Amino acid sequence: MQVKFIALLGHKDHGKSTLIGSLLMQTGAATKVRIKEAEEYSKRLHKAFEPAFILDSFAEERLQEMTIDTTRAEIKHRNLAFALIDVPGHEELIKNMISGASYGEIALLLVSAKRDEGIRDQTKRHLFISRMLGIDRLVVAVNKMDTVGYDEGRFMEVKEGLVKFIEKIGFDTPNVAFVPISAYKGENLVRKSRKMRWYSGKPLLDALYVSATKTNKTQDGALRIIAQGVIPGKKGNLIVGRVISGKIKVGEKISILPLGIDAKTRAIIVKNRSVGTGNVGENVALELDTPISGNPRGAVISGSRDKPAVKDAVKLRIFVTGKFGDGMTAKFNGIDIPCKGIRVLRSVSTTTGDADKSKTAKALEAAEAELRLARKVPVENYEVTKELGRFVLYRKGKFVGIGTVMT
Amino acid sequence: MIEQDLKTLEEKSIYIIREAKLKFKNIAALWSMGKDSTAMLALTRKAFMGKIPFPVIHIDNSVDFPETYTFREYLAKKWNFKVIVGHSEIKQDLVGSACCGKNKPETLKKIMAQHGFDALIVSIRRDEHGVRAKERYMSPRDRNFRWKYRNQPAELWDDYSSKMDTLGHIRVHPLLDWNELDVWRYIRQERIPINPLYFSKNGFRYRSLGCTHCTIALRSNAKTVDDIIKELRTTKQEERSGRSMDKESEYAMLRLRSLGYM
Repeated sequence: MQVKFIALLGHKDHGKSTLIGSLLMQTGAATKVRIKEAEEYSKRLHKAFEPAFILDSFAEERLQEMTIDTTRAEIKHRNLAFALIDVPGHEELIKNMISGASYGEIALLLVSAKRDEGIRDQTKRHLFISRMLGIDRLVVAVNKMDTVGYDEGRFMEVKEGLVKFIEKIGFDTPNVAFVPISAYKGENLVRKSRKMRWYSGKPLLDALYVSATKTNKTQDGALRIIAQGVIPGKKGNLIVGRVISGKIKVGEKISILPLGIDAKTRAIIVKNRSVGTGNVGENVALELDTPISGNPRGAVISGSRDKPAVKDAVKLRIFVTGKFGDGMTAKFNGIDIPCKGIRVLRSVSTTTGDADKSKTAKALEAAEAELRLARKVPVENYEVTKELGRFVLYRKGKFVGIGTVMT
Repeated sequence: MIEQDLKTLEEKSIYIIREAKLKFKNIAALWSMGKDSTAMLALTRKAFMGKIPFPVIHIDNSVDFPETYTFREYLAKKWNFKVIVGHSEIKQDLVGSACCGKNKPETLKKIMAQHGFDALIVSIRRDEHGVRAKERYMSPRDRNFRWKYRNQPAELWDDYSSKMDTLGHIRVHPLLDWNELDVWRYIRQERIPINPLYFSKNGFRYRSLGCTHCTIALRSNAKTVDDIIKELRTTKQEERSGRSMDKESEYAMLRLRSLGYM
């Protein structure tokens, strides 16, 4: 069964974990033991039954009624499985939110319709981050409709408040479904709600299904393998890595960058079997006609006539989570590269999408910046080859931001 | 349970296992002779040309099932890998059970220190328990084996390389995405040898294996891998319902894991 990864987004307390808990129950995916356990803890905390406790398993998460770290739960819908990625909505837990959302293919944004809640900074920031991570499919669930008497006017108000921003940051607005729901009461999740007859669209799971089954532009792509290192084979060392795009064939002329090695493949081994071709997603072990000197970890294997650019300065779109400065390192394809400097070209607000000329990178905001690295690495535009266009930035061992390559 | 694409799961696990071996200096894997860690060894052989290029640790409290010991000797010989046996005591402690609670991590600590291992492959799965579902693929433990679950490192874009505390070690979880049914389907597909305790005898079988003190057999007539797969497709029972530490006291699993339990 095909699994589609769905990243939940939204401000804290707008109902992400509650929604997943309710969906697990309504689709029969939650076991009795999990439900019973959630019931017991709800009782112990003198609360009505809280579906979020099916997901929130840390003691602190239940006591404080907040998600601290990301988790996943799977449900079936028609011929698909949805892996719902829960993330914390709190600002200070943004690193856990990014960790979860980075695996998403589709974004499901929750925004509360409750009068004093509605669209918040974090609602927009999560959307901004997901778009930056490359997610281009979105479903918006307007939640807590039960608290506003299932009122269509309030639903439209929330919807209109978001549409412009969604368009501005690059989502394809006509393809974004807005679904009014009550996660807590289970309305309009699996079946159409009778409480909102004014709503003519699909219930939530069907809306997700439509989004998940839209055909993606398939890219054949040039051959790219990110090398993990070498392992011993029967006839000397083999270079191992995962094919991230294209195909590799026996007898093909290849290049390994930035090592500057040109070689020919003598044999390709996938799961202990010699094969003629290595395909996308496969972990290959390559026997080459040229011995490899130096550690190829983090190097990129490509066809000898279609190589990625090798650069030590890149223009990035960045999202900032901590303080920039001296002593930064960039994680790139499994290796740590010291940074020589980072220069902010312009900053971009994650809550309005507007750019300004300020040259500083503030936490929780975005920017366009030039990153200078201590050595050259093979890079490509994030839109072309994601794996070769993304950096995770650290400073003194602390996670301070992520960057995607613009040029 | 959802039946996921085995090829996708397999490739991801192979990638993580290779990552562990190539990134760290000195790694080992935990092996309980249960189905998950045995499937992990099968995946390791696929990643390394039929070899298991690191030692495998069994934390033995001397009250495992006789079948388990026999299986240990059988597979270690058949697949030619090194087993390190650490003997743990059975004594009462505050959290978890006397046999498989805090005492096992204590023994593991000694072995890790003796051999200087900096990473440990552990075959936990997200669907086993709500707390395990919160894990990272590579998860740091400090020198006291503590899991700082309130502040886990960022882990994004298949970059499983974080390390927070150089004095501790990293737990590597290559099977995190798999569910119980996926593991059995993979065992069938690859014809992986398996501990006979999983198969029904006199109307009972073990679905999750601990030692003789904390594991009870569940009612089942599944005598073959095919039978087990059929059974799992319809069961409503939890996998670890025969394991006492999951329910003993409030947040037993959380406390055990934060103290270094596997």
